[in-house]
Amino acid sequence: MDRLFSLIVLCIIIIAIFSGCYDMREIDDVSHVLVMGIDRGVSDKWRLTLQFATLTDGQGGNQQKAEGGKGGGNGTQQEDYTHVTVDAPSFFTGMDMLNASIPRRLVFTHASLIVISEELARDGLIGDYIAPIMRFREIRGAAHMIVAKGSALDFIKANQPFIGTTLSKALQTAATESSNTGYFIHATLRDFYNELKSSYGQPVLTIAAVNEFQHFNVKGPKWDSEFKTGSEYLAGQLPRQGENKIEYWGTALFNESKMVDELNGLQTRALAIIRGEFERGFFTLQDPKEPSLVVPLDIRQDRKPKVKVNLNGDTPTIDLTIYLKGEILAIQSRLHYEQDPLLSLLEENFRNRIKDQVDQLINRCKKQNIDVFKFGDVAARKFWTIQEWEEYNWNEKFKDVKVNTKVEFVIKRTGTLMKSSPIPGTEEED
Amino acid sequence: MIKEGKFGVQEAMWLCAITISSKVFYTSPGLVASIVGNASWYMTLISMTTAIIGFTFIYLLLKRFPNKDIIAIFNDTMGGILGFVFSGILGLYLLFVAVSTISEFNEVVKAYVFPLTPSYVIIGLFSVGVLVLCLLGLESLARFAKLSVYAMLFGFALILLLGIQNYDINRLFPIFGYGIDKVFINGIARSSAYGEVIILAVFAKSLQGAQYIKKAGYASLIISGISISLSLLAFTLSFPYYTAMEIVAPMYQMATLIDYGRFVQRVEPIFLFIWFLSSFIAVTGVFYCFVSIYCKMFRIQDMRPIIIGSSIILFSGSVIQSNIGVSAALTIQNIRQYGWIPPFILPLISLVVGLIRKRGVKSNG
Repeated sequence: MDRLFSLIVLCIIIIAIFSGCYDMREIDDVSHVLVMGIDRGVSDKWRLTLQFATLTDGQGGNQQKAEGGKGGGNGTQQEDYTHVTVDAPSFFTGMDMLNASIPRRLVFTHASLIVISEELARDGLIGDYIAPIMRFREIRGAAHMIVAKGSALDFIKANQPFIGTTLSKALQTAATESSNTGYFIHATLRDFYNELKSSYGQPVLTIAAVNEFQHFNVKGPKWDSEFKTGSEYLAGQLPRQGENKIEYWGTALFNESKMVDELNGLQTRALAIIRGEFERGFFTLQDPKEPSLVVPLDIRQDRKPKVKVNLNGDTPTIDLTIYLKGEILAIQSRLHYEQDPLLSLLEENFRNRIKDQVDQLINRCKKQNIDVFKFGDVAARKFWTIQEWEEYNWNEKFKDVKVNTKVEFVIKRTGTLMKSSPIPGTEEED
Repeated sequence: MIKEGKFGVQEAMWLCAITISSKVFYTSPGLVASIVGNASWYMTLISMTTAIIGFTFIYLLLKRFPNKDIIAIFNDTMGGILGFVFSGILGLYLLFVAVSTISEFNEVVKAYVFPLTPSYVIIGLFSVGVLVLCLLGLESLARFAKLSVYAMLFGFALILLLGIQNYDINRLFPIFGYGIDKVFINGIARSSAYGEVIILAVFAKSLQGAQYIKKAGYASLIISGISISLSLLAFTLSFPYYTAMEIVAPMYQMATLIDYGRFVQRVEPIFLFIWFLSSFIAVTGVFYCFVSIYCKMFRIQDMRPIIIGSSIILFSGSVIQSNIGVSAALTIQNIRQYGWIPPFILPLISLVVGLIRKRGVKSNG
C-alpha cells in the first residue's frame, strides 16, 4: 500500500514537472538581446537601443547583404542582426514598449555588452541607470560594459560581425582582446557597479568609438623620422581604413558616477600596468643609439605590482614597484641589443619610459582626486574596522598622496634571432 | 512504538551537515554582511565553536540517559507537564525553521530562476517531495543524504574553484569588519545557524548509543562550519562589503559571475543542483523531526497521518509569508538571533535539572 501510494505521488510530481512550468519559454518565442545601448533621450529621459539576432538563415542574410540590403532597424532588408530604439522613462518601461512592437519576447539573459553614451557618462547619470539594471535578474554581472563616443545608437548601428557571422563571438573576442594589447581595460557590469559604490577607489570603463576613417590620410607628405609610439591616439581617431568601424581604445575615468577624463592607448597601458591587469602588449621603443629607428618589444607582466602604503604622517605615501619582462621583436638598426652593454641600455631606456608614463598618469589622476589604481584596496589593510576606514575617507585623501615608483624590467628573450648580422653593401661590417 | 529505523554515524553526520549548511545558499550571507561586513567568514567559526559547546551539553544529557531520545529525557528530568512544554517548544521551533526555509527558498527561486511561477506551485511541489521522503522514513532520508553528498561536495568545490577568477584578497580588509565586538556578539548569537544539530538528539534511538551521537554531532558541526566558512570566504572575496549586503543570494550571484570565455560560463545550473538538493534534504530532516517530536509528545504510534496533516501545515505556513522582506529580513533574522535558545538552552536546563534531581545514570568519568 505504501509503495502504491508513493508511486502515485511520484507520478503526479513527474507529470507536474515534466509538462513544463510557468516560466517556460519556447526558443522560437523569444529574441535574445546581445547588446544594450543607453543614451539620453529626446522624447523621454532615456533612449534605449537593443541589438539582437534576426534569426534568419545565416546564408540568406548574407546573400541579402551582398545584394546591397541595408538593415539595422529601417525594415527594408533583413540582416543577421538588427536593432530597435525607444525613448522611455525607464529601462523596464522601454523594454515593454519595445515588446509591444516586436513579435517575440525580448530576453536579456545573453546580453553580453552594455553601451553607455559618453554624454550620459559625462553628465553623471550612469549611476541612475545601472542600479535598476543590477536588480534585473536577466542581466548578468559578467556582461561587458563600455562608454561609446558619440551615441550608443550609432555605435550599435555600426556593430556588425566583421569576421564570421556570429556577433556574440565577436563581442566576446573583442572584449577580451585587452589581454593581448593593454589598450583598454576589461570591465564588466559587476566591476563597474562595485567600483561605483566603492570606498576604496573610483570606477573606470573601456571607451569604444565608431571610426569614420577620417584620420586616415590617403594623400599627403610622407612620414619622416619623427618618433611615435602608435599608442597616443584617442578612441575613434586611429589612422586606419577597412570594413570594421568599431574600435575599443582607451579608458574613461570616473569620479563616482561622472566621467571626468579620457585616457589614450598609451595612458591606458600605464593604468593597466599599475592595476596589475596588464598581460601583454607590443611596445615600440625609440632606438637609444639610432633615434630615427625603433626597437619593438613584446612586453608582459612578470608579476603583479607590489604596493606598499604608509599612512603615517600628514600625507599618505605609496611605494609602487612594477615588474615587467620583455622580448625583442625587431632591431631595425641591427645593433647588438641582444647582449650587454646595449641590452642594459635598452632595458634602462624602457624602464625610464614606463616610469615617466606611470608618474604622469598618477599625477594626472591626483589632480582630479580619483584613485583608479586600486591603491585604496591596499590602504584598507592598515585599518582594523570599516568605520575607521570610511572615516579616513581615502577618496578624499588621494589628491595628497605621494607615490614613489620603481620599475623592474628585464629582457628575457631576443625572439628567434640571437644577433643581427649586417646586410652586405648597405652598411659597414663590424 | 515508533520505528524510525537504524543508520550509522556517516549517514547521521551528512544528514546533519547538509541540514545545517544549506542555509548558506539563501539570504543569510547578505544579512550577515550587513551586520559584520567582510568578517562573516570567521564569524561563523565563532558560531560553530559556540554550537560545539552547546552540543556538548546535549551529548552529556544523552549520555546520562542512554537509549533515550531528547523528548523522553525532557519528560524524565522536567516532569510530565514541563517536559511536554519543552518538547512542544522544540517541535514548534523546528516547524518554524522548516516553514521559514521553504519560504526563503521560494523567494530566492522566484527572484532568480522562476519569476513567473506562482509561490503555491513551487512550495506545493517542494512540500509534496518532502511528504514523500518523510513517508519513506528517516532511514531512507539519512541514506539519501549520504548518497547525494558526494555529488553536492563535487559541485560545491567546483563552484568555489571556478570562482577564483573573481576573488580579490583585498576585500577581506579591514579585517574586523564592522568591529570585533559585533563579530563576537553576533558570532555567539548566530550559533543558531548550527541549531539543527538537535535533530541528532531527536533521532537518538536510531543511532547506536551516545558515543555515536557524539561522533556524528561534532563531525557534522565541524564539516558544516568549514563549508559555511569557505562559502562565506568565497563570497567575501568576490563581493566588496558595501555591495555584498545588497544581494539576495550571494552564492548564486557568485556562480553567475564565473566566465572563462565562451565555453565555461553560465555554470549556475551546477549551483542550482546543489541548492535544490540540499534544501530538500534540510527541510525534510527538520520537518520529519517536528513530526517525530509531535508523535512522541502525544504517544502516537503511526506517524503517516501526522506526516500528511503536518505537510499541509508546512505548505500553508510557507505560502503565508507575504514577501521576501518578511521572509528574509524578519523571519530568518529572528531565527538567527534567538534561534539558539530552543536547541541549546532547553537541553542545558534539562541537564542541570537532571543533575540537581539526580535523574539518569551517573557518569563514570
